[in-house]
Amino acid sequence: MSILLDEKTRVIVQGITGKIGSVQTKWMLDYDTNVVGGVTPGKGGTKVEELPVFDSVEDAVQETGANASVFFVPAAFVLDAFYETIDAGIKLIVVVPEHIPVHDAMKMRDYAIQNNVFALGPTTPGILVPGKGKMGIMPASLFAPGRVGIISRSGTLSYEFAGILSEKNVGQSTVVGMGADPVVLSNLSSILQKFEEDDDTDAVIIVGEVGGEQEERAAEFVEKHMTKPVAAYIAGKYSPKDKRMGHAGAIIRGSAGTVEGKRDILRKAGVEILNSPIDAADWAVRHKLR
Amino acid sequence: MRLHEYEAADIFYKEGIAVPRRGVAETTEGALDIADRIGFPVMLKAQVLVGGRGLAGGIKTATTIDELEVFCGELFDSEIKGLPVKKIMVCGKAEVIRELYVGITVDGFNGKPVIIVSTKGGVSIEETARTNPEKIVSFYVEPGADLHPYQARNMLKGLDMSKRLRLGCSVVIERLYKIFKSHEALIAEINPLAVLSNSGVMALDAVLEIDDSAVSRIQYSGTDLIGRIENPLERKGKEIGVTYVDLDGDIGLISSGAGLGMASMDIIGQRMRPANFLETGGGITDKLLYKCMELLMMKEGLRGIFINIYGGINPIHEGAKGVVRYIQEHNVKIPIVAKALGNRQEETWEIFKSGGVHVVTEAATEKAIDRLFELLSK
Repeated sequence: MSILLDEKTRVIVQGITGKIGSVQTKWMLDYDTNVVGGVTPGKGGTKVEELPVFDSVEDAVQETGANASVFFVPAAFVLDAFYETIDAGIKLIVVVPEHIPVHDAMKMRDYAIQNNVFALGPTTPGILVPGKGKMGIMPASLFAPGRVGIISRSGTLSYEFAGILSEKNVGQSTVVGMGADPVVLSNLSSILQKFEEDDDTDAVIIVGEVGGEQEERAAEFVEKHMTKPVAAYIAGKYSPKDKRMGHAGAIIRGSAGTVEGKRDILRKAGVEILNSPIDAADWAVRHKLR
Repeated sequence: MRLHEYEAADIFYKEGIAVPRRGVAETTEGALDIADRIGFPVMLKAQVLVGGRGLAGGIKTATTIDELEVFCGELFDSEIKGLPVKKIMVCGKAEVIRELYVGITVDGFNGKPVIIVSTKGGVSIEETARTNPEKIVSFYVEPGADLHPYQARNMLKGLDMSKRLRLGCSVVIERLYKIFKSHEALIAEINPLAVLSNSGVMALDAVLEIDDSAVSRIQYSGTDLIGRIENPLERKGKEIGVTYVDLDGDIGLISSGAGLGMASMDIIGQRMRPANFLETGGGITDKLLYKCMELLMMKEGLRGIFINIYGGINPIHEGAKGVVRYIQEHNVKIPIVAKALGNRQEETWEIFKSGGVHVVTEAATEKAIDRLFELLSK
């Protein structure tokens, strides 16, 4: 088992005919992901990487039995595509694009919750299950099969942690990018819960960063519900106050969202704090993870 | 994008929220003209986008022409928290009986707009939340929904206010919410909302931050995202399409992600000092990294450069070509260390090496920083 995605998941790619969508479709297929088709309004009937392209998500679901979707749709069209995908009955959505307006993200999150849909992003690298498949843009070479779960707000840092563990022959059960925006479609604690329930995950690393209160709120969940070891790294110790550090969510305002505040709350909840990404290797060895 | 107070005040005024009579001046003479029109005493408020402007000396009260000339002279010559004062808002001084707080923001965790009102104004709402939580009420609005007038009235029930004040305050909340929604704001805030001697309410400050990702689709004429960035290097970064934050160290940084960039800064900061934060996002091309090199080299006294990029969505081999082209065209001599992993990594390493870049192939950023430190210690 893994969380969210396995070899049976039937994935469609929205925006499959675009420059990024088509390249990433190839990488996903190369990683043996069960991609069954794609959607680009107006391009129905064509093919990308020998996969059928449909005009609507409804058509794609009818023809292919798809139950998951990954987005490479331009930011301005994401809200519409998101409503369409949920209305077509898909229950897992990965929203890769960045620069989605926050007011759109709030509506998307609300609609996903109402319809019992699990969604990740915006601004997420997606999900990767080593050896089984990936939805999104994670570069496969850094990952190895194993029993450590990773949840990251940052895409690139999820690769860094997976790479550091893989070099030490510590593999990953599932790697999840939760998205780097101020409003994300699923909160950290709901992903932690999936790892806690997953028989193939022995421990979890949270890769957080300054800004927002995801880590603070997840601490309570860890304390009450997590039986597996949890470690956390929080990026942004030297980030200046009131400056937006690339991620729309990474901004320190007043005393909220600081590295120290997040570390303290997580530490009190029983989470082991990693001062630097490389410390993940020692942590994994100490807990005999593989 | 955070608007200046005078810009936000204009928007508030148009929506029917009372604000002081005001004007914005770029010279002392201009300020004098406005004061002449409004009548003394006047407030002089430096238009710089930093928090704690008042405590940093950016707000003065002038009761005479002489005072105005002295204060304006001082302000126009000064910097507040590193930012030069180019504009001063001159406004009337109100008779204030009491100060309230009204703010609307996005609650990221709950994914909804939240309206926050406090009967303690003039201090930060975070401070009131610590010291007097009983003086705060908050109300969540469903995403995309309008705020009904009754909701604005009812949310104030728990606060110590007269019926008349409650009504006046609820109208301000309603209008501020309209602004928040139509401008796709991340923050719309009035602190303080003053209660005047005639029991009316007036916004004595105006904060409006618009979501950068929504700027292109809202109705507002003043949205020059790039022109309003004060720091020339940060402005150049925005022009070429990257996030650049100017810092005071001497180690240049290019990263392909925000989290990776922040982590790189943390690791550099253990032994050296980062000159900047630079994050490309998913848009790496040959040209973009050439321009990033150009931007980094504009910083004086740079001793070394660290490039930390992943090939997930980014074609890092293309990026490497741009870096090497810049090095060769400009004969760059300072040491450059690159860690580049992911799709087409081997090809990327070869390109970097051809330009004299030191390539580190391990995943941990620490290893690359060790290498840079060694090279600089030679």
